[in-house]
Amino acid sequence: MGNEPDNPPLIYLNNAATTWPKPLSVLDEVTRCMKAPFFEAGRSTAGAATDYPSETRRALAGLFHAEHPDHFIFTQNATDSLNLLIHGFVKKQKASFHAITTDLEHNSILRPLNALAGEGRLSLTTVPSEDGYATLREIKKAVRPETRLIVMTHGSNVLGTLQNIQTVADYCARNDIFLIVDGAQTAGQVPINLSSLSSGAFVFTGHKALFGISGIGGFYLNDPEAIAPVRQGGTGTDSRSLVQPDEMPQRFEAGTHSYPGIASLLAGIRFIEREGQDRITTKGRDLAALFIREIANDPNIILYTPSPDLPVISFNIRNLDNDDAGYILAKAYNIITRAGLHCAPLVHDRIDGGKGSIRISFSYLNTPEECRAAGEAVRGVAEGANH
Amino acid sequence: MREFLLESPLTPEFLTFLKSFGTVKEYPHMKRPYFSFEQEYFITLKGFIGDPGVEVRYRKEFFDLTSDYFHLLLFYAKQGESGIHKMQEITDSIREKMNVRLPPQGRV
Repeated sequence: MGNEPDNPPLIYLNNAATTWPKPLSVLDEVTRCMKAPFFEAGRSTAGAATDYPSETRRALAGLFHAEHPDHFIFTQNATDSLNLLIHGFVKKQKASFHAITTDLEHNSILRPLNALAGEGRLSLTTVPSEDGYATLREIKKAVRPETRLIVMTHGSNVLGTLQNIQTVADYCARNDIFLIVDGAQTAGQVPINLSSLSSGAFVFTGHKALFGISGIGGFYLNDPEAIAPVRQGGTGTDSRSLVQPDEMPQRFEAGTHSYPGIASLLAGIRFIEREGQDRITTKGRDLAALFIREIANDPNIILYTPSPDLPVISFNIRNLDNDDAGYILAKAYNIITRAGLHCAPLVHDRIDGGKGSIRISFSYLNTPEECRAAGEAVRGVAEGANH
Repeated sequence: MREFLLESPLTPEFLTFLKSFGTVKEYPHMKRPYFSFEQEYFITLKGFIGDPGVEVRYRKEFFDLTSDYFHLLLFYAKQGESGIHKMQEITDSIREKMNVRLPPQGRV
């Protein structure tokens, strides 16, 4: 249906899941990587090729203002990172402990924590958010003497709210609590300064606002000793040893990297550097504000965040299931959104009774014209549902 | 989930037929006249009247019983009142097999 001549051009607004399209420089770098013989010190004798892992760690350190490039660990995605960190932290603890998370979280946090709680490895408190924000006040109320871990998002993937991580990080540093920050929605979208997050870990994924391809993500860890490795294997170094090396990054990286993924991440970071992080952040907020102006006055549209910090907008249309709205937008207007729970079930219990929402999410490569067209389409669907 | 491109567009008569077997929601004032159909445990449909495209979703646990159900609906819809009767017999037969798998409190 999307190829019918009378259909409007495709507008992709599901960038909080995966950004599309990618900058051409990203596609070119992946092609270049795939055309060159495989190279990594210790794993291949091919020379004169790019050492993508090392170069990308340096690029990440530059983008995120991090002190130690080798403390960036590559994984498959943010979910993979969160699993390694959460399970690795638990493995390091001698006894069961108390952990805190929030109701804004993605299942990539909720499921590992609840699985471990079910096994008796930790007890878990989920603190309620207020208007899309997890506050230090609520977190402090949940803290107990045996609290050792807080895992929370930097930016809600449903509401587009940016959490005040710095205040939580400062509190954690003062109280010997390890903080894991899920930056899946913020890395590449807003400025991030890891030098001011003195303890804990920051998680990112490559395939969203960093403009990489799917299958590459990672985390930054200030203190490698805080987390026990849960994977062991070949590192290309110290091969006679039967135990995993302790040095970073080998402590947490086993097996051959996703070279095309890392190459795409490097090119994505270079793209962000060329365009400017501040400009990208500003454009995201401007697109979100423009779209909200398009729909805010329609009484048949229920908007859940009137002023999001990130270009992520959730809403519902009266008298229409969000799933149906997503289908109509896709098939009748050629606008790709996402409908449902967005893998964050607890936040939906608060905002829409657990029914889910339609989510529109912009990338730096969307245009104001696409934004207006989407607003017009959503108003049209709302009118059609309430005629 | 499967998407089918039918040989002919979906008709209002087909929607009328569907109403005998589940819940039909109609939104005729959309840009294209939209409908959805849900028959619990069997299938859900989404599509537009006058359009040959349709999305069909199945419950994974009953897929072996319901994978042909949409095509049976299309076939018997063309037979009018006798088609409704025949389709009802098929539906009842499938439902009996579903009930063997469902716990007593969840039987349909």
